Amino acid sequence: VLAVALGSTRPNAGGSLDVTTLTRTWDQLTLPGKALAILLPLGAVLTLGLVLVIALFGQTILDILIFNLPIVRFVFAATVLLLLAPPIAFVIIYMEMKIIALMNLRIGPDRVGPWGSLLSTVHGLKVLMKEDFTPTRADAVVFTWAPVVVFATMALSALVIPFAPGLFAQDFNLGLLYFFAIGGMTVVGLLMGGWASFNKYSLLGGLRSAAQIVSYEIPLTLSVVGLVILAGTMSLNQIVQQQGTSGWFTDWYAFRQPLGFLIFAIAATAEANRTPFDLTEADSEIVAGFATEYSGMRFGFFFFAEYIGVFIISALTTVLFLGGWNAPFPVPHVSWIIDPGELGLGLLLLVLIAPVVGTLLLAAPFYLFRSKTRWWVALILGFVLFNVLVGGLFGLWAYINFDWVAGLLWFLGKTFGLVFVFVWMRGTLPRVRIDQLMGFAWKWLLPASLLNLFVTAAAILVLDGMGRPGA
Amino acid sequence: MSLLNSLVPGWGIVKGMALTLRRFFEPKATVMYPEMPPDVATKFRGRLQLLYDEYGALKCETCFQCAQACPIECIDMGGMDTKGRFHVHWGPPETYGERREESAMRRSGRTVPDQAYEHFAAFDLTTIDEILDGYDHDPKHMLQILEATQAAFGYLPVAAIKRISERTGAWYAIVYGTATFYSHLRFEPSTAAGGPVGVAARRPTDDGYVAALGASLAGGPAMSTKPARKARVQ
Repeated sequence: VLAVALGSTRPNAGGSLDVTTLTRTWDQLTLPGKALAILLPLGAVLTLGLVLVIALFGQTILDILIFNLPIVRFVFAATVLLLLAPPIAFVIIYMEMKIIALMNLRIGPDRVGPWGSLLSTVHGLKVLMKEDFTPTRADAVVFTWAPVVVFATMALSALVIPFAPGLFAQDFNLGLLYFFAIGGMTVVGLLMGGWASFNKYSLLGGLRSAAQIVSYEIPLTLSVVGLVILAGTMSLNQIVQQQGTSGWFTDWYAFRQPLGFLIFAIAATAEANRTPFDLTEADSEIVAGFATEYSGMRFGFFFFAEYIGVFIISALTTVLFLGGWNAPFPVPHVSWIIDPGELGLGLLLLVLIAPVVGTLLLAAPFYLFRSKTRWWVALILGFVLFNVLVGGLFGLWAYINFDWVAGLLWFLGKTFGLVFVFVWMRGTLPRVRIDQLMGFAWKWLLPASLLNLFVTAAAILVLDGMGRPGA
Repeated sequence: MSLLNSLVPGWGIVKGMALTLRRFFEPKATVMYPEMPPDVATKFRGRLQLLYDEYGALKCETCFQCAQACPIECIDMGGMDTKGRFHVHWGPPETYGERREESAMRRSGRTVPDQAYEHFAAFDLTTIDEILDGYDHDPKHMLQILEATQAAFGYLPVAAIKRISERTGAWYAIVYGTATFYSHLRFEPSTAAGGPVGVAARRPTDDGYVAALGASLAGGPAMSTKPARKARVQ
């Protein structure tokens, strides 16, 4: 069929009597031609319709949207987060493969893309192409919705995380509570998957992961209560702002709540199902626990959700304890405002001449000092270098001029640093036993987090009694 | 360090994390094989060894490929082919018997006789040279040369094959291969019984093979069959 579509003029084999002019023309179109023939009229009709709708009801729609701004903001942010989730998962999966390989004295992925960086994307595409299988007598509806629930809760819990000054979906005053509430919904998804699979082992795996996650939610939440008492708010945005008052990293809550930070880090590891607490789907021992019966993209969603979970837990740790978007030291404030209009004719010259001169200047050393380099290779090198230079200058300009660029850079740097620590731990530590896991949660982490809470509360009481404001 | 081990909980974790972080920066052990072939000497040929199967028979098929490839011609071989028919040799005949004895002496201090080797008698090369002259020393006429040689001698003596190889420039293995391909060419004088008795006498008997096979199938150890000494009457 494809061969016929690609410009072959062979008459339709189905009998020449039925072939009308229209079908013959359609058969003679190439594949791009067919795509265009569909898309162009469709686009024209849609554009016309959109223009009409905007012209007729534009003001009304705008009024409705402005009236419901929080909902619009929520929908927009949720869409953005759901769209950003797969790329983030790809980056983290690649980090995991590469870093663990390097720690094993291997090279790791190095075939697809630069340094193998597209391998995780290829894995994602591979998962898309696999058979999507539902076991006989499984509860098909619940079975299908389980990965959606897991993935959606993971992505939606990121709604309250402030990525940079002004760059957050919602500034709840109950943000932390929302986070733990939505994050706790993950268990529902896991249990749904385990129950609907119609498989004893999946059900056992689901129950085991539910037991683990519910057990570790308690120390996880309690370890943050001390911080909440100290901060006086549950809004993540305000917690981050409080950590940036003096500009130095000593303001970070990790230094005022070290025990809380430690407990939170351990419990978060268990919460994200990471080594050494990855009993939920211990790759090397059991068959993926609750996800045994899943295949194709539905399994892919569980897999993505796990890595999104790593990112989100790292982001939350950054926000709560490591200062969020704040730089660790006060960055001197430089005002560097370029007004292109002031340059006048100079701007034209700059745009025309600067790339050429820059490329030539940067190409000259390669050509002059290395006789093997051909002139066009030198020119390409110069052009690439010029682009890197200009890109760097542009980034510097954006960093200086826009708070949110600087904040996002620091935030992502810290978050991916924590992701590195998670991967590092996976490359180092062996898995614990289930009794060790539970015993550690109930016998050590819970008392320690309670101790942290009481000591913090007592310290605040005493300091308040001495006449100083809290902390 | 042991004090730290016992006093600080989780010190082992810290040590392990430090180890993996060091490994992270160390040079990697991966060999990029197809792109970067391993750096070995051009003369390297791996380990040369003759292998025996579980019944004690030599796995060598006397194909002479190893001897052909040997850059310093140190490989000599003599023996029967896998069907027990032909008595073939590779290597300078006046040296390899001594060399084999020498190496055996060096290892064990006593002489180990070569079961398969019998030195052939002195050979008059003029006949074979005349035949070769008739065919202009052209290896393309190998079959005719070999047929003429067999007509002259009644069979194909090893020395004649070596002479043909030497004068025509064809490899011994090729001459040998041509000779073995045609069933009317012989390596032993044809006897009245029709079989190469001298060679068959040194061959392990069928009974020995069957016994060894049965023993191994019955779970017993595979015994190594010694070549039977008695001559078979055919």
